[in-house]
Parts: sequence; structure tokens; C-alpha cells
Amino acid sequence: MTQEYWRWKENNWKSADKDWTKAEIVTAGIDVGSVSSQAVILADGELYAYASMRTGSNSPDSALNAITAAMEGTGLTLDKIHYIVGTGYGRVNVPFAHKAITEIACHARGANFMGGNKVRTILDMGGQDCKGIHCDEKGKVLNFLMNDKCAAGTGRGMEVMADLLSVPIAEVGPMSLEVKEDPPPVSSTCVVFAKSEAMSLLKQGWPKNKVLAAYCSAMAHRVVTLLERIGVEKEFFITGGIAKNIGVVSRIEKELGIKAIKSEYDSQIAGALGAALFGKALVEKGGKKK
Amino acid sequence: MKQFQSWYENHHQYCKDWKARTGGKIVGYMCTYVPEEILYAAGILPTRVLGSHEPHDVTEPHIFGMYCPFCRDVLAQGLKKRYDYIDGLTISQSCLHIRQAFTSWQMHLPLEWSYYLPMPHHVQSPRAVPFLREELVSFKKSVEEWTGKEITDEALDHAIDVYNTNRRLMRQIYELRKAENPPITGLEAMYMVVSSQFVDKADHNKELERVLQNIDGRLADREVGTRLMIIGSENDDVAFMSMAESVGATFVTDDHCTGSRYFWNEAPQDADRLNALAIRYVERPRCPTKDWPERSRIPHLLSMAKEWGVEGVILIQQKFCDPHELDIPAIKKAFEEIDIPTLFLEFDVTTPVGPFRIRVEAFLEMIRGEDLF
Repeated sequence: MTQEYWRWKENNWKSADKDWTKAEIVTAGIDVGSVSSQAVILADGELYAYASMRTGSNSPDSALNAITAAMEGTGLTLDKIHYIVGTGYGRVNVPFAHKAITEIACHARGANFMGGNKVRTILDMGGQDCKGIHCDEKGKVLNFLMNDKCAAGTGRGMEVMADLLSVPIAEVGPMSLEVKEDPPPVSSTCVVFAKSEAMSLLKQGWPKNKVLAAYCSAMAHRVVTLLERIGVEKEFFITGGIAKNIGVVSRIEKELGIKAIKSEYDSQIAGALGAALFGKALVEKGGKKK
Repeated sequence: MKQFQSWYENHHQYCKDWKARTGGKIVGYMCTYVPEEILYAAGILPTRVLGSHEPHDVTEPHIFGMYCPFCRDVLAQGLKKRYDYIDGLTISQSCLHIRQAFTSWQMHLPLEWSYYLPMPHHVQSPRAVPFLREELVSFKKSVEEWTGKEITDEALDHAIDVYNTNRRLMRQIYELRKAENPPITGLEAMYMVVSSQFVDKADHNKELERVLQNIDGRLADREVGTRLMIIGSENDDVAFMSMAESVGATFVTDDHCTGSRYFWNEAPQDADRLNALAIRYVERPRCPTKDWPERSRIPHLLSMAKEWGVEGVILIQQKFCDPHELDIPAIKKAFEEIDIPTLFLEFDVTTPVGPFRIRVEAFLEMIRGEDLF
């Protein structure tokens, strides 16, 4: 079987020192995105376990798959979780969730946790869309803007490029930074156009790293124009899968003249984390607690 | 109330039945600046030509790709022969996109009569009323020549009365939407207004009166949620309205040519009937193609939002609709200055329900500030 270069690694993590059985409130957030699904479990509001898996064709199964991976080896079962919030593209199809909240609200809340309460502007670069969000010191959304009907500037676009160039997705960013000077970007308005342009550049003899640099620049430019429409504050945070691509992130930072706030957490779990935090607030405010 | 929806869903059947019943002529119109009263006075049923919200490609050879989806959808209906019962077609000058749908229709489809009415753009000029009055004289003459019958003052008086009654009754229903529990939803209001654009106003008035008699306490148990206003270009996108009202919101008013802009003001009393009509059409809440140099629409929108207790505004435009696009930043700013948040959405022939739903839900979460923190 030929290698599928776009395939990013599914993963899960659990805290080595925390014990959910000692926690008063256990909540979970499930973010069923268009490309990946994450589940985050919090024990008394602290990160206890998470998983990041690929989304399948069926949202309920993807949600279950993600939470099962997050619960793996913990002894936790669904019925032991006091409150579950579903978010993401498939948020209304998480059968075991008590509530659905949009990923816009959840990403803002998650970013507030991950980057601290100073975070004011969030860029979420997801699998199939891209959002600019403004929030207050609590992580409450003040304003937001989403890209329209276009895969440029999204994870799916990057996957297409990784496959075309036979470069494993995790190596795209570093490889794109090998060039001394960025070449002119490819089309930033359409993944299909960008792909044809990349193919013709390859035929002209461009090395892979140069083509990737042209694509990463295009993607960075694309999201910067989205952000500029909503305005960017210097307390800026990036969530979503593309936040892991240093080639795109560093070019966004350069174009904006702002360094994104760094975080120790996996950028992909922001939505599910925000959802789990909302779950905790809802339990405390008298919501469901089994 | 269900009658409006049924009319909306059976637009063509209604018109065909009307024709069979009365033997009268039907004229399609492509813009709400068309003085329907003159047609109605001639015994003609004016029917607005609308799209169908189905994907299609029949307009590709006839209309530019960057013309708005509404005008393409409208032309597609003609090319697919869905309006094969109309005898004539008319348009009043508003925007070039819909005008191209009109000229293409004239070119490709059989019509006994067609008329392009040069409705003045500069409606804020004191010369607009006399200009339009003279154009209405020509319009009336053309209709008379086509039908071979004179349009009498009595017939005009009757038509104006029927149309004014329709406007008054719909305005009365809109007034009731100011209540804490509006007795009709935004979706129902859309069915009501859009159906009034093709149903014989005499039939429509009877239904409005019936509705008004039974409206007290209607929807008293329905969760109102966030009170929204929707503003923008032509919109009969019932799928969108229905989705937005299913996620914790109610549209309490609107500014669309398929909504309040269509019926807001009545024709005044004037012995010169055509002058009365000219005043009515010049003074109606304006379409952005005509609202300059002042943006007279903005104070109207803001006071409407205050009176109807609006908490959030959804600004929509048909993709590539330049006149609306030009007004949207100014409208957005005006609402933000009075602390009413806005959400902008670009409409197309079909409704991308999923992507719109996330935007609307996030907008509602933002307004409600739910106790999540």
C-alpha cells in the first residue's frame, strides 16, 4: 500500500499523577470536527486525559471513538462523567452529550485556559474552516468571523499538498522553512488552484521545500486577511491542527508583526477543552451531576 | 396562517388556477418598484418572479457568473418554463443584474407584452415624483394598448384601495410582533409577505383578516429566545429562516423587499391617482440601489430595531449584490453604535444550512451570554 502522507498521527494522553476517582466533578468535551475529533476529560477542572482521532463518516461513532480513546486505561466509563458537552461540526450528533455548544465559543474558552486570560484574539485553523475570534478575559466571545465555502487556509488544504509532494504532514512546516527566501505564494483563494499551481512549479523543477514555502505563505496570507477583517490584538493565540505547522505559524507571525502566545498544550484540543470547561461550569451552576 | 405557506409552496398552481377561474392575464414582475396597482386596475394579476433555491446551470450561457444568484435563479425559472402561464413581464429599474435576467427573458421566451419602467434612481430628488408620474402615464398607456381597455379612475381607486388595505393589514400584523411573545414567527411572516406578492390581493386580504381575528394568544407558549431582525436583499430563503428560528431565536422584524420594504407605506389620497402612486413608490423604504446621497434607510432601521426590541441583527446579501454590499458596513457600524451586534451572511441559490447554523448559533451564544463562565 502506498503511503498516505496526509495521515497525521492519532494520539491520546492521560495524566500520570491525577486520579479521577478523587475528583468531585468529572466533565468531558467532545469536538467532532470535519477532519479530526477530540475528547478532553477534566477532573475538577484540571486536564486529566484527552485523545485526538480522525473523524469518520459518522459523527456519533467518531465521538464515541474519541472519548473511548481518551478513557483508555483510566477505568473511567461514560456513566461516571458528570457532564459532557459536544462541540464542532458534529456537535448535535453526539448522542451521549448533555449539551451542544458551538466550537466558536469552545475555542475561545479553551484558548483562555491554554494561553491564559490575557488572550484576546484567537485564530482557529481547523480541518475545513478557519475562524478569527475576539474574546474577553473570561474567554467569552465578543465577535467572530469565519471563512466562507473555501478550503484554502484549512487543514484539508495542507493535507492535499502533503500528499501531492509526498511529504509527511508533520514535516511540511519545517521543510518549508529550509528556503532562504520565500518564493511568491501560490493561489490563496482555492485549494484546487493552489494544487495545480504547485504541480506546475514542480514541473518547472522547483524543489519540494520551495513549493511548500509557496503554499505555506499562501495559507498564512489567507488567514491574515481574514484576521485583518476582524482586527488582531497583540494577545494572540492560535488553535487547531495547523497551529502545529511551524511553516504557517511563523509566516503568520511575520505578516502580522505579532508573536502568538505559546502554550504547553496540544493546540488541537482547544475546542474539546473549552467544551469540558463549560461542562464544569454547568455542573457548578446546578446542571446535571450524576 | 397555514394558507400563506400553502400559497408560497404552490405559487405556480395558484396563478394557473387564478387564470382558469378569471380568464384574466398574468404579468410577472421582477422588482417591487413596479406599480402593481396599475396592472391590477386593468384586471391583470401581477405575480412576482422568484427563484426556486434549486441548483441549476441553465443560465450559464445567458448571464454572467458574477451576477447575483437571485437574478440567475429567476432567469432559470423562465428558461425551465415554470412561468409559462404569464402573458407579460415587467421590471422597474433597480439593479443591472436583475435587469439582465429581464432582457434575457425577453430574448428567449415568448411574451405578449413586456415593459421596462425607468423608475428614477435619485428618489431623494424633489424631481423624482413628477418624473415617475410621467413614466407611470406611459406605463398605463402601454398596458391599455396591450389589453385594448382603458384603465378608469374608478378601477385605479379600487386597486389602490385593495393594495393599501393589504399593506395596512400586514403592517398591523408586524405591529403585533413587538409583543414579548410575537404571535407569528419570522418564517410565517416571510410566507405571508412573499405570498402577497403573487396572490390576488383581494384573496390575500381576506386571509389576513381571518388571521387577525384569531391572532390573540397565538404562539403564547413558544420559546421566543433571542429577538432578531434580518436585513438585506431579496430573501425568500425559508430554509434559512426555519433553521435560525429552530436554534433559540425569533425574527421579530425585517428589512427586505420580500418583507417590510414591500408593504410599509400606503399610497396617499390624491385626485391625481398616478401622482399618488408616484409618491408611494418614491417614498417607500428604499432599496440600496436608490438610497443616496443620504442613507435614509439607516434611521428607519435603527428605530425599527428599537421599537421591535431587537437584540441582534443578521445582515444578509445575495452574493455579488454590490448595492447591498456597499450599505452593509455603514449599517453594521450604525447598529454597533447602539450596542446591537450584527452577523453578516452571504446567500446563494441554495442554503448551506450546516455552515450557517454554526454562525447563527455562535452569534446567539454571544448575545445571550449564557451562564457558562
